[in-house]
Amino acid sequence: MARKPRATSVNLAVNLGGLAMKNPVTVGSGTFGAGMEYSDFVDVASLGAVTTKGVSLNGWEGNATPRIAETASGMLNSIGLQNPGVAHLKEVELPWLADLGATAMVNVSGHSFDEYVAVIEALEEAPVAAYEVNISCPNVDAGGMTMGCHVPSVEKVVGMCRAATKRPLIVKLTPNVTDITEIARAAEAAGADGLSLINTLLGMAVDARTRRPKLARVVGGYSGPAVKPVALRMVWQVANAVSIPVLGMGGIASGTDAIEFMLAGATAVAVGTANFANPTATVDVIDGIIDYCEQYGVKDVNELIGALEC
Amino acid sequence: MLYNEKAPILFNEEAGRGIWIMTLDAPEIAATALPGQFVHVRIPGMEGHILRRPFGVYAAFPEEGTIDIMYQVLGFGTDHMTHLEPGERVEAIGPVGRGWQPPAGCKKALLVAGGVGSAPIHPLVGQLKAQGAEVTAILGAQTAEALVARQRFAEALGCEPLCSTDDGTFGRAGFCTPLVQEALDEAAASGQPFDYVACCGPEPLMKLVASMAEGAGVFCEVSLERRMACGVGACLSCVVDTVNGKKRACVDGPVFPSKEVVW
Repeated sequence: MARKPRATSVNLAVNLGGLAMKNPVTVGSGTFGAGMEYSDFVDVASLGAVTTKGVSLNGWEGNATPRIAETASGMLNSIGLQNPGVAHLKEVELPWLADLGATAMVNVSGHSFDEYVAVIEALEEAPVAAYEVNISCPNVDAGGMTMGCHVPSVEKVVGMCRAATKRPLIVKLTPNVTDITEIARAAEAAGADGLSLINTLLGMAVDARTRRPKLARVVGGYSGPAVKPVALRMVWQVANAVSIPVLGMGGIASGTDAIEFMLAGATAVAVGTANFANPTATVDVIDGIIDYCEQYGVKDVNELIGALEC
Repeated sequence: MLYNEKAPILFNEEAGRGIWIMTLDAPEIAATALPGQFVHVRIPGMEGHILRRPFGVYAAFPEEGTIDIMYQVLGFGTDHMTHLEPGERVEAIGPVGRGWQPPAGCKKALLVAGGVGSAPIHPLVGQLKAQGAEVTAILGAQTAEALVARQRFAEALGCEPLCSTDDGTFGRAGFCTPLVQEALDEAAASGQPFDYVACCGPEPLMKLVASMAEGAGVFCEVSLERRMACGVGACLSCVVDTVNGKKRACVDGPVFPSKEVVW
């Protein structure tokens, strides 16, 4: 049966740059579809938000297989933003989420500046609570990370998306940069309402026996428990560098992991790779947050945001 | 409906030459699994390996509430599995995927299994017999000791399966594909050709059997395996190239009509 978080008197509601979340937990885009595949396991409407799989205007085929490789306490993926296009999301997944009463944040992808804007424009009448602008995917040749690594292109794409919508605009950042705070400040200046980080770290795995890379595209995005220290460090740096809220992610699998990110400055968190090992990871994380708050006498989860003592 | 059962291990023994059988107490999956479906298993004690492992359901016993899976020791995960004791619990998502879909009026079926590919194809024998089809099974393995499914196939079929071993220690020496071609040819010559071929095993075997079946004009299905993360259709890791674009091995498959597969 689909699990829901347990009852509590702790206030779990947070506001992520205008996105009202009933609790601070969403999912990492691409690890959860739009929730349908997990609806036998968790009540997706009970999540703070459902962040949908990255969507482009007309759909993409994605990369060749093998697309994943398991690594020590983590994994590499090179899916390549395979998606059926924004019309499918609008006709199938978003109405399904709306009927359930779920909060939808749509992850927006594009190969060009104009494509990001076109996707947002296509969704302006749809039941969407917020957009997450993906300028950080390491697995596509155009758009994605190439756009998120340099201040001018970040300013341009975020500015264009900002002009296209009044809805909360969260910008998802790549960790594959020299100074993430510089990129974060550029996104903030261009009108972002919030920042999400980290997307995956660019990595690689080799099969010594066959002398071949384990991924068809050779390199891919590294995620899972192994990347948590990097993610925490970047969330902490960014939260201290900007005044807009941060959605933290990278290796979160438990309530304690989530609390650590909130202490480091995250207003909300996303559960990503953990969904693969544990299909109820999202609700387990919410329950773990409740456990922590009750144990330490935290009446409002907002008290934890940036409460790191150092 | 998918379940995620915390399933106690009831039995975990080597059945022959690096091939093991594990019995799980998983009543919801046992009651609902269809032939060709699989379970996506989280193994205790290997948390540094963060992904689940998919295994075809070798047998489901709804009354006992148990399922059997078969695994071959190939890497860290399957080696670790051999050390698990009855009473320890795995977590199994299932039953997952599109199983075998033989034609409704199937009268005469040829089932071909290579190695541990015998596991997901075994439950199909019972399904086809129940609908009144005549079933021939061909099992290929590296050596006699690795033909672990032979006895269960014999029980389900009511006769011995045709067997081959690469080293000639049991049945026909060499690969099983000559047996497949002979069976197709003999059935055609008798005027009662097969109307369904199902194959699970190494991909080169499936490709060859598919082309033999297609050459004989017989509808064929194959069960494909890909590196898999979520196992429920969300992550798009396990896609297969088909004539209809990329399909997910986990939920659009693992069984596909052979003519849809772009090999």
